[in-house]
Order: sequence, then structure tokens, then C-alpha cells
Amino acid sequence: MKTIATIKSGGTASWAIRLVTAAVVVYLMFWIPTSASNGMIDSCITALTLMAAAMSLNLLLGYTGLISIGHSAFFGIGAYTTGILVSRYGWSPFQTLAVAFVIAFVVGALVSLPALRIKGVYLALVTLALGLVFPQLVKAQKLEWLTGGARGLDKTGFRFTKDNPTYEIFGWNPWGSLRGENVKPFHYWIAMIIVIGVYLVCRGVVKSRAGRSMIAIRDNETAAAVMGVNLAITKALVFGLSAALCALPGSLSAIRTGNVTPDSTNITVQGAITFLIVMVVGGAGSLWGPIIGAGLFVFITELTGDWSDPDQIPGIIRPLFSWSNTPPGSGIFAILLIVLMFVAPFGIVGMWRRLVARFVTVTPRPAGTGTIESVVSAPAEA
Amino acid sequence: MELFLQRLFDGLSQGSVYSLIALGLVIIYRGTGHLNFAQGEMALFCTYVVYQCGEWGIPLGIALPIGMLVGFVMGATVEVTLIRPIAKKSQFAVFIVTLGLFQFLNWLDGAIWKDQPLPNSGVGSSQQSFPSLFPNKPDDFVNVFGAAIKIQSIGVFALVIVLTGLLFLLFNRTKLGLSMNAVASNAESAKLVGIRTNLVLMMSWGIAAAIGALGGVVFAGINSNVNLGLMFSVFIYASAAATLGGFDSPGGAVLGGLIIGVIENMAAGYSDEWIGQELKVGVALVVILVVLLVKPSGLFGTAKVERV
Repeated sequence: MKTIATIKSGGTASWAIRLVTAAVVVYLMFWIPTSASNGMIDSCITALTLMAAAMSLNLLLGYTGLISIGHSAFFGIGAYTTGILVSRYGWSPFQTLAVAFVIAFVVGALVSLPALRIKGVYLALVTLALGLVFPQLVKAQKLEWLTGGARGLDKTGFRFTKDNPTYEIFGWNPWGSLRGENVKPFHYWIAMIIVIGVYLVCRGVVKSRAGRSMIAIRDNETAAAVMGVNLAITKALVFGLSAALCALPGSLSAIRTGNVTPDSTNITVQGAITFLIVMVVGGAGSLWGPIIGAGLFVFITELTGDWSDPDQIPGIIRPLFSWSNTPPGSGIFAILLIVLMFVAPFGIVGMWRRLVARFVTVTPRPAGTGTIESVVSAPAEA
Repeated sequence: MELFLQRLFDGLSQGSVYSLIALGLVIIYRGTGHLNFAQGEMALFCTYVVYQCGEWGIPLGIALPIGMLVGFVMGATVEVTLIRPIAKKSQFAVFIVTLGLFQFLNWLDGAIWKDQPLPNSGVGSSQQSFPSLFPNKPDDFVNVFGAAIKIQSIGVFALVIVLTGLLFLLFNRTKLGLSMNAVASNAESAKLVGIRTNLVLMMSWGIAAAIGALGGVVFAGINSNVNLGLMFSVFIYASAAATLGGFDSPGGAVLGGLIIGVIENMAAGYSDEWIGQELKVGVALVVILVVLLVKPSGLFGTAKVERV
């Protein structure tokens, strides 16, 4: 393949591409709540929830190399913190986000203590057990006064009145005015703010000194220790931060659905597996990976959601799926995951980077000036 | 005393199932050093196959070998087509592939044997009634020191003991078993002395999946039903058992499974108020944590020496 174009990092062309991408993203961001159908807004909130959770897991697994199949527990901690504070103590849902963040951070850091000694798949076992225990714990009878037992909690969201004056900003209601009294755009914006927040935190951490320590730990723990990375503190902080970030979409889910039950998808282990699969399909160890993975996951599940009726399946592939009444979404995604591990271990983002690298040469800025971005992203592309 | 014996035997029969799944985990781990996260779901698929045979009117005595054969073929195929090529890339890739397999099989079971969309939790959805291997009517009891012990519990326990004996013979008296031991202790050297390591690894996965299938059928029999979430908790108990016994020791896995089963039932029974039926999965978490922190190689495992 011949190189078609050469782009200088930080040059005009590079900035033009960035601006166009940003413009498209921002346009979509505003187009969805104002013009899309209610069903689509709903799917987008689901996708945003998944994005935030997958991004938090990415920090732990993609960048630090610590495997967790128990992140559903932290998601659950977020959901239950919000649920309990709102429904039992009458807090405003927004205030509970901070509390959920702190509680999950502490629990995550505590869980990380054994993780300092336990490595690889053993850590996966411990976290898997944690993920299995959490739903049982909140179901326990001793805690029913707090968590509502197997029935869970209800009335955990915002309580809207007909002309909801409470959430206006100086008389202007940015969410409400987009679509009358509909609450979906409102939830959409909360989700969007959380995702942007989580993204910025992840980006900030990854591109900082701490991020370089994390990547060093992932690539070679011994070498990292020799180079002066404090393994214990870095791992504990990353674990705590990852847990805390995962609690935010958990709180969001409580706010959005208005109830919390121990059996809802993202609180059981199935949720943790979904976060992990979504993240790996999108691209572990890249900032955009979880975003693309979560988007694709929700797209596929929504697309195939009504395939239980054979007539809804597009003609060509109908014989492939018409034998079952179960929507094939998660099956397709599982196959996609396995295939991707063979052809592109760094997921869709990794595949995209490889594809671009074939046609476009990006020349980094001379070393010593500007950002160290190119240096950091190099090992992920290898 | 009666209650104690009853709980002991309940624990032993449940523990037997954990032992079977744990044995599968250990056999695979010994060969390749991989933890097969899909072990439980592979067993579940075979259990559904056995259930389907029952629907077709095939007696359990014939359906069980069919299920185990399906398991063997599936395990061997997975090793050859998925695990072997991906293992060259990285340990992490193997982990992800087994996880993908877990998800895929769980979906496949649901797609074939259930009409509703995939459940949220997987637990408690569309249950199919399942026949038991051993007599399990309300009056099938044996009286031991005044305690009424289910014939089923004794049967399951005996089955595991017999199977362990057979496996012991396989590992120590047959050429295949000895080759498996050789590959487990040093794959490179085993290859040099002319052992066909690829064949051995394929057989290990096949045997592991077949034993898993047996475990699945037994467990479905104890529960008298099979559902999509059947193996979730069994898998974590089995992992706890393998961790406790040592990940490279088949005997340890069996003993570990029995110990976990008994601890779990005793904890749930005697600490009804605090642990009870709901929190007994916490036993697995505690056991895994304590073993990994105190003696990472388990009771009978060989400690790994790591060179940097």
C-alpha cells in the first residue's frame, strides 16, 4: 500500500481533522435530544451508561492490566447509594453522585488491597466472586431495612411535576425547553455530562505521570518498580478511581429508571461481563475504545431486538437467525469478540489505527517540544 | 447430631458437583496454564443436550454418555480451533476468548432451549424440569444414626469417589495419563522425548469438558431443573475449590470441592441469621481470598518459582 497523505501532528491538516470531528460529535450531541425519537434517546442513554462504565473499567484493565469481572458491584454501589439517599432520606439525586463517588472509591481501594498480591486470572476470580456476592448482599434480610431486599427500592429518580419549576437555571430550563415536559432529554443530558466527565478524568489521568506509571505496570511490573513506580499506591488509587467512576453510571441508572433492584442487568455479574466485552471490542487501552464499543453494542442489540419475529430479519440473513425466538444480539457480539481477538487484539480502535497507518503517515512533532502524546500512545499501537 | 449429619451429606453431595467442575478446571490448567472461564457454560450446554435427549424419550442412562461425548467433542474442538492459536498471542487473549465463549454458549442455550429474550440476570428464568440420576422421591431416604440421608446425596458422593479413582488410574497407569503428567510438569521437555503435546492438550480439554458435563447433569438432577443461570454460582464455588486444593492438583480439586460444599452448607445452616441461603456465595469469596493471600499454591499445589 502506498502512503496517500502525510499529516504533521499539530499542523493545519491535523487541526482541521480534529475540528471537523469535534463539530460532528457536538452536532450529534445536540441533535439527539432535540430531534431524535423517544426510543432513540432512550437507547442513547443506555449507550452512555455503558460507555461510562466501560471507560472506568478501561482505566483498570486497559491501562493498568488488572482484570476485574466484578465492576457490576461498583455500578451497584452507585445505584444503591443514590437509591437509598433519595428514597429513604429525601436527598436530591444530584447530591448523591458525590457520595456515591466517595463510597465507591473507598470500597474500590479496599478491594485493591488483596489485589496487590494477587495477579492475573486469580484477580479475575476474586473480582468475579465479588460481583456474585454483591447482588446477594443487598438481597440479604438483615439489610432489608436499608436496601429493600429482593424488591429493591423505588422512587429513586427526580420527581417531576407538570411544569417542573425546580430544575430551571435563572428561569431558563435547558433540558425541558428542548422537548416540553418530556424527561428523557433531561436524563440524556445528565448521562452526557457524566460521560464527558468520566472521559476527561480518564484522559487527564492517562496522559499524566500517573498514566505513564499505569502503562508501565501493565507492560512490565518488575521494570516499573525498578524505575521507581510505587506499585501499591498506584494500583490502589487506580482501583479506587475506577470503582468511583463506575459508580456514576450506576447512580445515573437509579435516577433514570426511578428504581433499583438487585436483579437489574448491570448490577449482576452479567453486567460486569458486558462492560468488559464492550471495552475489549472497542479497544482496550485506548480512550475512544469503550465509547465505540458501547455504541456498537447498543446499536446491535437495538437492531436485533425484534428479530424474535422472523419477519423482522432482513431477507438475506433470515435463514441464519430465524430458527430461534431469542434476539441474537449478545450472541453476535460474543462471536465478534472472539473474531476480533484473532484479527485485531486492540479492538476496533486498534484496527482503525492500523488501517489509517497504511494510507496516512502521521509525522510526530520533534521530540522535546510540545506534548508527549505520541510517546505515550506508541506502545498501545505496537 | 441428626441435623449435623444431614447438613454434612447435603454439603458432600453439593461439594461433589463443585469437585467435578473443579476437576475440569484443574485438568485444563495443568496442561496449558489457562483458566477456562467457559467451563461452567460448556457443562451447561451438555446438560441441556441431556435434557433434550430426555424430551426425545431417550433414557437418562443413555443420554448421559451422549452428553459427555458432546462435551468431549466440544472441549477438544474449542482447544484446537480457538485456544491453541490464540495462546500464541497472550494469556490475556485466552482469557477474553474463554469469556466470549461463556457469553456465546449462554446465548446459544437460551436461543435453542428458551423462547423468551435473554433474561436480565440469567437466574430463575425459564426452568426446565430435569430428571435425577438417583432415586429422589420424598421417601427415598436412608437412616444413618437417626438422620435421614437422601439416597441421592449418597449416590452423588459415591459417583465422585468412583470417578476420582478412575481418574487416578488414568493419570498414573495409562500412557495418555502419564503423557498428561509429563506435559503438565514441562511441556518443552515432553515434546523433546516424543510426546505429542498437541494431542495431549486436546484430550485434556475434551476430558475436562466431559467431566464438566457429568457435573452439570448431576447438579441439574439435585436441583431437579436446568436453567440458564444454573452454572454461575457453581463455577465460582468450583474455582474456590480449585484454588483451595491447588490449581495443578486433581486430588486437591476433589477434596477442595467437598470441603467447600460442606463449609457452605454448614455456614448457611448454622449461621442462618447472618449468612443463610442468600449470602453463602460469600463463602467462596472468603475462601478464594484467604487461600490466595495465605498460601497461593493451595493445599496440594506446587508452589511456582518465578524468575524475572
